[in-house]
Amino acid sequence: MSYAGIKQFLNERLPLEALDTHLRKPLPKHINLLFSLGSLAMFLLLLQAVTGAFLAFYYSPSPEHAHNAVTYISEEVPFGAFVRGLHHWGASAMVIIVVLHLLRVVLYSSYKAPRELTWIFGVLLLLIVLGFGFTGYLLPWDEKAYWATVVGVEIASTAPGLGDFVAKVLRGGSEIGAVTLSRFYALHTIWLPWLAFGLVGVHLFLVRYYGSSGTPKNTPEEMKTGKPFYPHQVFEDVVGMLILFIILAAVAIFVPVPLEDVADPTNADYDPRPEWYFLFLFQLLKYFQGPFEIIGTFVIPTVGMLLLLFLPFLDRSERVVLWKRPIALTVTSVSVVAIVVLTILGGTSKKLETTEVAVQETSQPIEQTQGATTPDPETEEIEEGEAVFDFQLTEEEIEGAKAVEESQ
Amino acid sequence: MEKQDRRSFLEIATAFIGGVLSLAAGIPLIGFAISPAFKKGESKWVDLGLADRLKNSRFKKVDYTFTAKDGWVKATKKRSVYVTDAGNGEWSVFSRICSHLGCLVRWDESKESFLCPCHGAIFDKTGAVVAGPPPEPLQKLETKVEAGILYVKES
Repeated sequence: MSYAGIKQFLNERLPLEALDTHLRKPLPKHINLLFSLGSLAMFLLLLQAVTGAFLAFYYSPSPEHAHNAVTYISEEVPFGAFVRGLHHWGASAMVIIVVLHLLRVVLYSSYKAPRELTWIFGVLLLLIVLGFGFTGYLLPWDEKAYWATVVGVEIASTAPGLGDFVAKVLRGGSEIGAVTLSRFYALHTIWLPWLAFGLVGVHLFLVRYYGSSGTPKNTPEEMKTGKPFYPHQVFEDVVGMLILFIILAAVAIFVPVPLEDVADPTNADYDPRPEWYFLFLFQLLKYFQGPFEIIGTFVIPTVGMLLLLFLPFLDRSERVVLWKRPIALTVTSVSVVAIVVLTILGGTSKKLETTEVAVQETSQPIEQTQGATTPDPETEEIEEGEAVFDFQLTEEEIEGAKAVEESQ
Repeated sequence: MEKQDRRSFLEIATAFIGGVLSLAAGIPLIGFAISPAFKKGESKWVDLGLADRLKNSRFKKVDYTFTAKDGWVKATKKRSVYVTDAGNGEWSVFSRICSHLGCLVRWDESKESFLCPCHGAIFDKTGAVVAGPPPEPLQKLETKVEAGILYVKES
């Protein structure tokens, strides 16, 4: 079959011409590079999906194996460190790009009628991106993973009424363990991707249906007199994707992804800190004390999210130029500055230094302590800060150690 | 008119069948997912070790382990507490879990306080909140001494 024949065959069975006509529809005349941020977010979502799908070949979501699996990926699998690097740094890039995309929409009033639902689906996607971050960083099962999840789930538990229930559902019980890891893995790799792609589908459909809002410079006549979406805008988007990928690849190669020690629920020396994109919340929680705790853990985040979600219905004015919208300008600026300042304060907050630690002891299980000689507490006391290890050597290890000692 | 009635009936019937299908599949699935929230935790006594060994007028940090069911896993759980008998045999065992958001507090001998590394909480030696966000004191665990062994109640 000739090329023309194949084309005709496909055209009769796939609405390619209709799609082509649709893609070549002109954009508004005034449009700039900021209008590529949505495509970059979409690209990152795909990159995360692809790298995540490949990481799943080697990952095992159980407390016994997760940390070893991630170490194995990073140290032994060819390109493992690179793939994990792309996924890890890609997550941070995703948060940055999605937030910039949101700010662009606010800047140009693109959330106003008839694009309210486009905005709402976009904000839901932002929540999903944060959900990906939260469920993703438990998976390596290192100290950061464990403690950030402990704090995150405890934050959820402070919600009035259903808080404790939600926390138990998230953990799959009363504490973080095998069931939690399994749940977070399912959320991270199945539930959230399905939700994300569903919402992206609706978001994109609405974006294409109502067309780009363009910048406020556009007169009504100029709204359909710009360059066609394809190939002009698509080309710019693809160049942006290439640049973003080069940056991410360079970071993935030159900045190793941190992997802390395996999660230890008794580690006395660990100062929990969340990923950078949750530092503002971490810092915020310090300011609300006692009965006001709930303001930091629940009221401010919930009210903030609801305001963001329903922004198009709160700001119904027809003004689109930012400097003619003093309330929008003030609220946006104050929010951005507050989040940046809280993030910096959280990131630079001093780690806890205890001047004198308590004497440390490790208990023996009852079957070992029964029948044991009671040691003299005076002579048995352990030096301050000295760790006592509770593992016992096997007979083979003792024999091996003796053999080494004799050979020396 | 008749056609319209028939159409309305079909619409309602379709929606009804859709609703029945959603409920029939949805209720067990949701129950399947949220069931852990309704499981009651069992409390049990766990030995910390020989009471004589743990006697101390100052706080000792004690790490201990016990086995408990975690879903399908019989897991070895690790816990950490601060223990003192205040030099007079009256045991105080404090959970190290901060009552704010679950980080592990540390005892600072010079300040005679428990300090939380996360959000700056400070508790005094009775576990009461001195400063910071926690709405409640540190959890004091129930204790008992039997046959010279100190036990705490794990829940």
